[in-house]
Amino acid sequence: MGKKGMNRRQFLKLTGAGSLVAAAGTVGGGLVFPKGLWAATPKIKGPVKVGYQAVLSGTLAGYGEFHKMGAVMAVEEINAKGGIAGQKVEMEFRDSTLKPDDAIKNARYFVDSWGADFLAGIDSSGQALALAPVMAQLDRVLMVTHGATEKLTEEFVFKKGIKQIFRNCMPVYNDGHAAAIIAKDFPAVKWSTVSPKYEYGFTCWKMFQDTLKGLKPSAQFVAESWAPFGTTDFRSHINTIMDAKPDGFYSTEWAGELISFVRQAKDAGLFDKVKYVMFPVGAAMDVLEGLGKDMPDNIWISGRYFFMYPNSRENNDWVARFRTRWNHYPAYVSETGYSAIYAFKAAVEKAGSKDTKAVIAALEGMEQNSPAGKRVFRKEDHQAIYDVPWGQTKSDPKYPFKVMGAMKVLPAKEYFNRPPFEGPGTTPPFK
Amino acid sequence: MQSYVHVILAGLSSGMFIWLVASGLTLIFGVLGVLNFAHGSFYMLGAYCCFTVLKYLGAGYWAGLLLGPLAVCAAGFVVERFFLRHVYRIALPYQLLLTFAFVLIFDNLVKIVWGGGALSPPSLSFLGGSVPILGRNFPVYSLFIIAVGPAVAILLWLLLEKTWYGRIIRASSSDREMAASLGVRVPALFTGVFVFGTWLGALGGGLAVPYVGLLTPGMGETIIIEAFIVAVIGGLGSLKGAFVGALVIGVLSAFGTRFFPAFDMFLTFILMGGVLLWRPQGLFGAAR
Repeated sequence: MGKKGMNRRQFLKLTGAGSLVAAAGTVGGGLVFPKGLWAATPKIKGPVKVGYQAVLSGTLAGYGEFHKMGAVMAVEEINAKGGIAGQKVEMEFRDSTLKPDDAIKNARYFVDSWGADFLAGIDSSGQALALAPVMAQLDRVLMVTHGATEKLTEEFVFKKGIKQIFRNCMPVYNDGHAAAIIAKDFPAVKWSTVSPKYEYGFTCWKMFQDTLKGLKPSAQFVAESWAPFGTTDFRSHINTIMDAKPDGFYSTEWAGELISFVRQAKDAGLFDKVKYVMFPVGAAMDVLEGLGKDMPDNIWISGRYFFMYPNSRENNDWVARFRTRWNHYPAYVSETGYSAIYAFKAAVEKAGSKDTKAVIAALEGMEQNSPAGKRVFRKEDHQAIYDVPWGQTKSDPKYPFKVMGAMKVLPAKEYFNRPPFEGPGTTPPFK
Repeated sequence: MQSYVHVILAGLSSGMFIWLVASGLTLIFGVLGVLNFAHGSFYMLGAYCCFTVLKYLGAGYWAGLLLGPLAVCAAGFVVERFFLRHVYRIALPYQLLLTFAFVLIFDNLVKIVWGGGALSPPSLSFLGGSVPILGRNFPVYSLFIIAVGPAVAILLWLLLEKTWYGRIIRASSSDREMAASLGVRVPALFTGVFVFGTWLGALGGGLAVPYVGLLTPGMGETIIIEAFIVAVIGGLGSLKGAFVGALVIGVLSAFGTRFFPAFDMFLTFILMGGVLLWRPQGLFGAAR
């Protein structure tokens, strides 16, 4: 209610018309600018409300802050330029805590009590999967900006037809298939992993193995060690890998756990013994900034977005604006959070309505120019398709942390084609 | 052979690391009878304060390790003097709830002061790097932790068993009223013990800075669970028990991770269950 009062005050300030006091009370802030482009979309009433949830507590709390920076910046920019179809954007940000039942609780609160038109966020795959059936009941569009499980789009959207779910971040295809496509050119034959002991870690390693085996039958998988969530001491896991004497190492450890892992593996001499190392989510800003000079060179890293790619004016401008606003380089969740809000704006303006059905229709197949380059929301499974780079870590005097050198960009379509929508032309040997 | 030696070393270092945190928890329970959930927060604050001294005051790591935990003692003082003291007489669940409230408060405080992201301290020049042991590298700092653990245990034992203060503490913990009637200022003593326990937890946090190599809000919550398991296995309130429990848990989970990877998450809990069935008071706990 406090927000509405503000709108009324702004309204009065702007018009200065005392006689409109009574009217202002009833129409709220929505009609502050009743002319211009958006006057043509009269169906949209009241502010556009976005309920965003991301993790703000526990060891991964930093992720929530990065989501927030991106999403808040988008809301600020959009509101400064007149809002979505003339309506102000309002956002409430809640802690998802990474627990599936809290994700559901938050979503219900957003829709039932707060009146959200759109939902966004979600860090963990477990939460995304738990929330999927609920989104069908709540009937609001949810834009997943971080949770990466392929099951969300393959099973819930494509097979079960829960159309309310979209995802604008890279799914695990990049962590599994794309990694294998890149790894096939390495001389390494004996591969090993230390990965998270839950859904995400298992899926990625399986995907990596299947695709690599198909492309390079000589590949062997000699050691795997699974680190439970919250592991801070990787020394025994590192012993497992060193005992197996592999020549390739792949790990989907992420965030703080990856930082601890790299430091401890470096101390143990893992990177001296194993020459081909891949971290599919190693290009996250928290990892690169956190490790600084401690990140070894020539490690293959990727992410859901990396601020140096694409080298376009749009992206570079955004990174500069982001740095001015927050004094940080944007993390990948900042980009997806930012682009999610702009995707809602584009969809609402295209549909001329914020009604869920109309917005879904507008989003399906929609192209969006975002800092990460061109994104297309695939109609069949609502997964946004866009390219991200893989590259090898190197020092650059311009940055206080290691960056991606020698970038390699696989066209997303080459490894995103699961389920096979586009005929038998599914090149990598997906199983 | 190489593998066994390294697994044992890894187990010893993680065990001694848990012991450093569990010692303060056990001391506070043994003397005050308080299950202090916020002990993990003191560990976290110790790490953050140590990091701050190291980074912003330009002082070296050892200065950070000295000053950081001392700063955290102030928090321990406030918690005991103004809050915990009022709930000693009421049921245990209220103490747990009160200390748990402090966990949430301190987690948020850390987020407000240091930000929500992970902080990564610079690498150490002294005690950094690693030494080859049987052809494989082992971090020097982990060897240092293996040495610090027993040193803290011996100093605590000397303090409690051989000094005048130790006798007073033991007397007050076994009978508050009698000690008070003999002229011991029990409330002040308890505050002192709590602050000392806080310092031990914060010291563990300071030592964690190079050991874990990463500070995150909420880092205390993982360690407090391990510290509780260790304290329960050893017998609540028994320092000897906590020391042995930490060693056993550390080495067992290192072996589990290396040789029984499917069960590594359960092994410690299976051990805890087994110990509690066999000796409900814990390995070195006094029967009640």
